Amino acid sequence: MGSERAEEHIVLAYSDEEVLDDEEGGSRIFDDLEPASWINDEDTDVPIFHRVDSDQIIYEAKKKRCKMIGKYVMGDLLGEGSYGKVKEVLDSETLCRRAVKILKKRKLRRIPNGEQNVQREITLLKKLRHRNVIGLLDVLVNDEKEKMYLVMEFCVGGLQDMLESTPQKRFPLWQAHGYFCQLMDGLQYLHSQRIIHKDIKPGNLLLTLSGILKISDLGVAEALDFFAEDDTCFTGQGSPAFQPPEIANGHEKFLGFKVDIWSSGVTLYNITTGLYPFEGDNIFRLFENIAKGEYTIPDEIENPLRDLLHGMLQKDAVKRFTLQQIRQHPWFWRKPPQTLEQVPVPPLRGDELHNMTVLPYLMDYHYVEDPTSVQPQYYTEHERNAWAEGQNPERYGFEWQEPVNNIRSKEGSPKKYPDEMGYGSPDTHQTEESGESTSDSSKRKSKRKTTSCISVKKFPPCKQS
Amino acid sequence: MSLTQHSSSSPPSTCQNDVDCAFGSEPDSYQTMSVLGQCCGDVGQVYLAIYKPLDTPIALKKFNMDKAKDELENIQNEIILTRQLRHPNVVVINAAFVMESHVCVVSPLMAFGSCRDLLNRHFSDGLPELAIAYILKDILYALDYIHKKGYIHRAVRASHILINENGQAVLSGLRYACRVVKNGRWQRNVHSFPPTTARNLNWLSPELLEQNLQGYNEKSDMYSLGVTACELANGMAPFQDHPPTLMLTEKVRGFAPVLLDCTTCPQYADTGQQNPNTAFTQADSGVGDSVESNGNSLEGGTLATRRLTDHFHRFSELCLQRDPENRPTAGQLILHSFFKLPRRMNAPPLPQLLHPVIPLTKEVIDCQNNQDYYAVADRLSDLEINSCEWDF
Repeated sequence: MGSERAEEHIVLAYSDEEVLDDEEGGSRIFDDLEPASWINDEDTDVPIFHRVDSDQIIYEAKKKRCKMIGKYVMGDLLGEGSYGKVKEVLDSETLCRRAVKILKKRKLRRIPNGEQNVQREITLLKKLRHRNVIGLLDVLVNDEKEKMYLVMEFCVGGLQDMLESTPQKRFPLWQAHGYFCQLMDGLQYLHSQRIIHKDIKPGNLLLTLSGILKISDLGVAEALDFFAEDDTCFTGQGSPAFQPPEIANGHEKFLGFKVDIWSSGVTLYNITTGLYPFEGDNIFRLFENIAKGEYTIPDEIENPLRDLLHGMLQKDAVKRFTLQQIRQHPWFWRKPPQTLEQVPVPPLRGDELHNMTVLPYLMDYHYVEDPTSVQPQYYTEHERNAWAEGQNPERYGFEWQEPVNNIRSKEGSPKKYPDEMGYGSPDTHQTEESGESTSDSSKRKSKRKTTSCISVKKFPPCKQS
Repeated sequence: MSLTQHSSSSPPSTCQNDVDCAFGSEPDSYQTMSVLGQCCGDVGQVYLAIYKPLDTPIALKKFNMDKAKDELENIQNEIILTRQLRHPNVVVINAAFVMESHVCVVSPLMAFGSCRDLLNRHFSDGLPELAIAYILKDILYALDYIHKKGYIHRAVRASHILINENGQAVLSGLRYACRVVKNGRWQRNVHSFPPTTARNLNWLSPELLEQNLQGYNEKSDMYSLGVTACELANGMAPFQDHPPTLMLTEKVRGFAPVLLDCTTCPQYADTGQQNPNTAFTQADSGVGDSVESNGNSLEGGTLATRRLTDHFHRFSELCLQRDPENRPTAGQLILHSFFKLPRRMNAPPLPQLLHPVIPLTKEVIDCQNNQDYYAVADRLSDLEINSCEWDF
């Protein structure tokens, strides 16, 4: 389906310039672009674009066609990887938010060990069940399209995105401590199941709505053979900056559990300082530095933590801390005081609350009887920016908030019970029905609103609150 | 404090004080009589049983652990949490033990069963308004207590409201409850989506269903109470015939269920035009359609011609506001004028309002005198009991 993406694309642009009409990327290119830096990058003498006012750029809202995979209603994109996309879905029976990893066989074949890794991840995740390990709930296969859907627990974001949203790329110590403890809990479970993750890094640590950390992406994880004597491993495929010296050195075999300890150490270093213990212009330099095992910890990191980092980033895997040693470490069991402000999950496409992206699709499905009857809806870049900046008042394309506001202003305090409360007052009536005649800028909402109300087939005994 | 603290008739078989009432955990001490209903899907069954040492009828809930799967944690939570609570309007667990592959939970027998039973068997057009006032006031006390203890119930619905012999309403269904306190801190909002909650979705608040970073708090229970008020008054649960996704979009858009009566049913509004505002709101929200689809209950005119008090309407509207901030707390709502109605109208106590429903205890006791348990069991199984939900 071509209209999968819930993005908008530009249909009209002021002046004759072809602004952008990218099939895949669409306006997202605009999203990432800060106009100021754009202009500064250019040779100012030779302007390529005329200055285009933001309310002269007009978008057509992409139709939100409801699409279902099994019992799951598809929502918008959450992330993208080499294997495919991750989208939000809604379980139509339990109404629980989920995430689905969409794997395209065609793409997988192009990645080294792609198909094997996916198969391995599925077998591993299926038997795992822990609060701090991402849960796989369902696997669906579409042979025709050569697609595979892994339905997982829903997460609002990852530590990496959160770090990147802050100026110093790090968390306050108390926040980092909370994540680190959960990471150790999850890791202990994985190791108890004889699984070595091999790719622990902030990008693979996700957070649920309640702030529970989930270790994810077991794509390169290894399950030790049941009869294996110890945790010796032979291959490592994780992210270079988080690899231990034994892998950087190219040792033939190494202790698996200690790989995860090292990567967790680099992760802890990274989320508390905003830096990496080892860097390099290219992977060879990087591995060279890791192999030397020399690093410095910034002065602001004080002792119990400093000592813990040294213990986890021991060059010699045998001397490196075990999970038990970490758990008994003074920094681990004493929670740092909550002095600094918490780093929040950054907004997704301007939505700070990370609302269900499935809702607009459901609205379309339930309220718009004849899709062709809906006029295309246009809005300007200016409006778009305003929505993105403000609290996104129109996130569902409906004006449900308005009556609510009316009530609030009329009611004052919740202790009072005014007579008219809740019943549509004449004012509410006005805003509801006169939508048609309002100015162009609100055409979109009013159009949606009216169609939606006429065409609902089944209605509950309900009223507007 | 006992559940039966107000008992006036003091039947010989009920415990006056559950502290004195030591119920043993030996499976042999309980003789099951008949099935009262099901709970938790097909995982649990509720039996009428006799605790032999005291010769007391009790309700015995048996959970089949082989079937429990995802419910297992909930059942465990329920037992632990319920035993920590002590309030006359919150269900009591007298004993819990394991019998073969079942976990058994012993609770006092609730003579009138659940409100859902009452609706199913005797009041298909809803309970009398004054009865609802009695019931909801008790439930508000229960919610006020639970909220102050730092829990959100998350499953307030008619099948979780049980009524004892004295007409006291008791809140059950605590297996879906969640804690507001995390790591010793009182959270302003929680975000967890209750697991295995599919059966309760219609009662849940929009903010809980939305599952965004805003989260929800104990005001979510007040919305559920509003939905329950409509359920008790209308006889059927709101959104009953809706697919869950439509129910979700309706709630998110701010449409809430209403109490059906002549002011809210459109037939009347069409002709009478008594209250244009109301008529408009109703037409807009499409109640007309629902009335047609639920034809028979309304065509008889009982719902469309009756008139519920403004107090009741206002109460339900307060609970069902879209913005949780605007909903009053349980403690505030207890003072609502709706709950002053029974006294003002000199209403008889709840058991009389529920006439002609015969509470279960009496029957049992009568027959107990005849020393004929099995006859009771037979008679009870004739009562079409399979249809009822004793979901406590």
